[in-house]
Amino acid sequence: MLQKKICMLGGFAVGKTSLVRRFVQSIFSENYLTTVGVKIDKKSVVFPDKTVDLILWDLAGEDDIGSFRVSYVRGATGLVLVVDGTRPATLAVALTLRERCEAEFGAMPFILLFNKSDLTDRWAISDGEIDELKQRGWQIYLTSALSGEHVDDAFRQLASMVAK
Amino acid sequence: MVEIARNVDPDNHALYEGVPAADHRLERLRQLLVGGEISELSRVTHLLDEPEQLATAVGNVLPEATARASHTQLGEALAPAVERAAQRSIQKNPNTLTDILYPVFLPAIRKSIGEKIDQTFQSLNESLRHIFTWHGLKWRFEAWRTGTSFSAVVLKHSLIYRVEHVFLISRASGLLIAHVTSQDATSEDPQLISSMLSAIQDFVKDSFKEKENSGLDTIRFGELRLWSEVGQFATLVAVIRGNPPEELHEVIRDVLLRIHQESSRALERFDGDSSQLPGVETQLQTCVELQHMDSKEGFPWLVVTAVLLALIVAGGWYFLSWQSAHRWQAYLSRLAAQPGIVVSDQKIRGGDFYVAGLRDPLAADPQSLLPGTDVDPARVHSNWQFYQSFEPQFVLKRLSASLAPPDSVRLSVVDGRIVAEGEATTTWINRARAAAQQLSAGGPVFDISRVRDVSAEDRWQAYVSRLQTQPGIIVADQNVRDGQFYITGLRDPLAADPQSLLAETQVDPARVHASWQFYQSLEPQFVLKRLTASLTPPDSVRLSVVNDRIVAAGEATTAWINRARAAAQQLSAGGPVFDISGVRDVSPEERWQAYVSRLETQPGIIVAQQNVRDGQFYITGLRDPLAVDPQSLLSGTQVDPARVHASWQFYQSLEPAFVLKRLTASLYPMDKVRLSIVNGRIVAEGEAPDTWIDRARAAARQLSEGGPEFDISKVRDVSPDARAAEHWQYYVSRLEAQPGIIVAQQSARGGQFYISGLRDPLAADPQALLSGTQVDPARVHSQWQFYQSLDPKFVVKRLTASLSPPKSVRLSIVQGRIVIVGEAPAGWISRAQAAADQLSADGVVLDVSQLSELNLAELNQLREAIQTTDIYFSSGRVVPGPEQTPVLDRLADQLKEFAENARKAGVTARFMLTGHSDITGRETANASISAARAETVRALLNKRGVAPELLQVRGAGTFEPAVPENENSPTGNSTNRRVSVTVNLE
Repeated sequence: MLQKKICMLGGFAVGKTSLVRRFVQSIFSENYLTTVGVKIDKKSVVFPDKTVDLILWDLAGEDDIGSFRVSYVRGATGLVLVVDGTRPATLAVALTLRERCEAEFGAMPFILLFNKSDLTDRWAISDGEIDELKQRGWQIYLTSALSGEHVDDAFRQLASMVAK
Repeated sequence: MVEIARNVDPDNHALYEGVPAADHRLERLRQLLVGGEISELSRVTHLLDEPEQLATAVGNVLPEATARASHTQLGEALAPAVERAAQRSIQKNPNTLTDILYPVFLPAIRKSIGEKIDQTFQSLNESLRHIFTWHGLKWRFEAWRTGTSFSAVVLKHSLIYRVEHVFLISRASGLLIAHVTSQDATSEDPQLISSMLSAIQDFVKDSFKEKENSGLDTIRFGELRLWSEVGQFATLVAVIRGNPPEELHEVIRDVLLRIHQESSRALERFDGDSSQLPGVETQLQTCVELQHMDSKEGFPWLVVTAVLLALIVAGGWYFLSWQSAHRWQAYLSRLAAQPGIVVSDQKIRGGDFYVAGLRDPLAADPQSLLPGTDVDPARVHSNWQFYQSFEPQFVLKRLSASLAPPDSVRLSVVDGRIVAEGEATTTWINRARAAAQQLSAGGPVFDISRVRDVSAEDRWQAYVSRLQTQPGIIVADQNVRDGQFYITGLRDPLAADPQSLLAETQVDPARVHASWQFYQSLEPQFVLKRLTASLTPPDSVRLSVVNDRIVAAGEATTAWINRARAAAQQLSAGGPVFDISGVRDVSPEERWQAYVSRLETQPGIIVAQQNVRDGQFYITGLRDPLAVDPQSLLSGTQVDPARVHASWQFYQSLEPAFVLKRLTASLYPMDKVRLSIVNGRIVAEGEAPDTWIDRARAAARQLSEGGPEFDISKVRDVSPDARAAEHWQYYVSRLEAQPGIIVAQQSARGGQFYISGLRDPLAADPQALLSGTQVDPARVHSQWQFYQSLDPKFVVKRLTASLSPPKSVRLSIVQGRIVIVGEAPAGWISRAQAAADQLSADGVVLDVSQLSELNLAELNQLREAIQTTDIYFSSGRVVPGPEQTPVLDRLADQLKEFAENARKAGVTARFMLTGHSDITGRETANASISAARAETVRALLNKRGVAPELLQVRGAGTFEPAVPENENSPTGNSTNRRVSVTVNLE
């Protein structure tokens, strides 16, 4: 049994919870997010030689970076940064959150998800911007919680990164 | 060479002493060859030789050297020094080390103490729960047998729990390291659970800023408990169902400690791959096996038995108290149904019954109602106040007593009213009317309308016809004029007195004008009377009327016979015949001899000698002072006492009869002793106290010399009883002296004392008078009837209660009369008068003549001033204008003064404020405006200190105008817009 603690970070209403709702095992209600500030889900990624259980800590999304509970990230091996593709500001939020985590616990593998890719008419992130981030060697996916597009790929990628 | 050798080894200096010390060439060579080394060597030597410099040098490298040293060796090398240092430090100042360790120890100590306390409570709870079960007894035995404490045994048997899950969770990442579960226990994904648990721990820690290096100790949810033990790298969470003992904490902690010992490195490096920690699950398995399932709860027989017993006892008690309460209620309802008894309060306390209330003295005795109710009389505590019931039958009784209705009047109760029927005199009717008036205040109706006033004339005619049947009275004429009665006629002085006959009738003597002429009736019985009066016949002659003739029979002296003959001659002219032929003439000598022989037969008289000389009679002899007086025997013998010369010597006769008399006189025999003569002996029989017996014995001794025998052997000594009887008599006399107490009957029988009589409720309690009389109260059986004493003192008390006289009046008793002196309102005086009338029927004088009507002149003046005051208003206004303020001020002062004076005089003054309006506007509006004006004035007067309860208001609208008003006047009459005041006295 190989498990890894993964934290999902992102601004308010970027769709973290919807993103995992359909693709993960969950026993806890979403009330936990508002009460405890965190909800735990599990995503099992099966590789030919092993199965990696990603224990996903879905942290309550907040635009107020100050109230972010860094302590929840302790012991995590990877991050899932989620950005709302229709709101450019959420990118900055995601990056700031990541910086705070790295400042606290050191660098760790992450994937960057531009969510709500189905809302093409309201899409606000330019391809150039995405390309530039990709240039840094970052793993970036355009996902849609609605269609499930690239969600599995993204988790599979992260699993392979953390299980090395 | 020697030089070289010296330089190589300094010891060689000594060895080669003789060899020249220096060769400058060699020195130079040396400088050239090893000059550098020498200077370096001297520096190092200097460094080693100087401790300060050496310390500095070692200090520079020590941290580095320590870090590089082999841990084991260094630890071993340092351990003794550190121990010694610590020891030294503690010896020097223990506080330093305590301060250092304080933050480390405190949480541990705190936690340990907390657990210990929990353990204690738990054991206490369990012990209590099992004290009364069979298990409890068994376990007590077990505790005794094994020498452990009872609570420990209880805990061992009663704590039922099962460890269902054990999670070992990485502290760093919250990832699950290992999870074991007991058989048949289920749970959700343990990975998620473990993460969530650590998330919640983080949450709590963050939320409450808890810095302590521990996690959540316990989470409890219903039957389920989560116990967590926090280790250095991992947290062990046990999920327990049931009631675990506190010691389980230690067990879990031990397991966690062991895991840390065995796999410390692997735990530290744990990155989510649980295969790195293979042996952990077996360790955890030991936790899961922990359980205690002794679930057979002992049936608590002891408790059930105890509860049943308690229930039976309580039930029995409840039934008994219910039954006695039921009986008590029956008695109460019986009491309540009794007329003249009012139960005001009753309660049951501690099995005893308390009842209080009022009872009419004429009502049934509540005590006498007890038998038959099954209520124990000894447990009944009554407190009855006497009162006068207004229930018709009681009033009837009282009326019968106080009015003393004549036989011709019958009182009865009809439909709650008291009805008097029959015939009575006017005075009686008046008295009955007064009583009826007094009763009208709250009492039943007393209807006297059916009592016919027997007219004075009827009674007069009855009187006259009675007179006409009287012998020796001849009614010549009689008539009635203007309510006055006139009668004339003849009467014999010996006939009945017409005046005295009048007293027996109900004819008012003041209205009778009688004129009687005396005459001598010739009816035989009158003639007989007159003859008896004039002839004074001796005892031996008897006069009687036989067939209208007067016949004298017997013996008489010649002189008397001659006088009788003269009277008979006088009567022959028209009167009845007086026949004296039956009277025999007797001579003086004959009569003397008859007298002497009579004397001789008298006991206690001894005739010694007697003779007759020259028509004189002489007699001498002895007489006992107790014997009949010879002189008294002379009268009636027709012997002329002037011719009798007697000479009597006194002596004491020893004839038993005389001795008996003397004994009777000297011994004062008690009521209970009877003296009698039996065969010439004097015998005393009965009961007497020892003192009397002593005296009697002395008398018997004295008599033994020649006198008759005095036998007192049949007198029983009753001294104690007699003394008790004396005490009793003293008590009775004391009672008799009490006002308001009338002793009707009293007796002492068989050592018990019985007394009955009447007592006024206001009189002293006969029971209370017992104290100090030495009479045993237990032997006294009293029966007192309540009555209303007519003793003036009691009457005054009752009057004070019933009339509630004002302060200005004083009631006092003057020579047995009750006198009321002072001033009182007319209403009160009339009530007092009515009371006086009623009392007069009972023979009690209540003098109200010195009662004068309260002088109300001053009050009347003030009343006049008040009643002429009016408060005026502007049109349509209900508040008087400011110009009315002085009027209101003055009025308020007057009202207060009047009320005060009235109060002093014993009456209550009330003021009616009547509001008025002029006739403009609608009538309904005027009515309300007038009432509003009165209300306003009431408020304004109240504000000026007039008590509101003395002020009454009404609105008169336009109906009581001060001046007549013209309907066409557009503004209305200002004089009519007013509030007037009237004064009423109550």
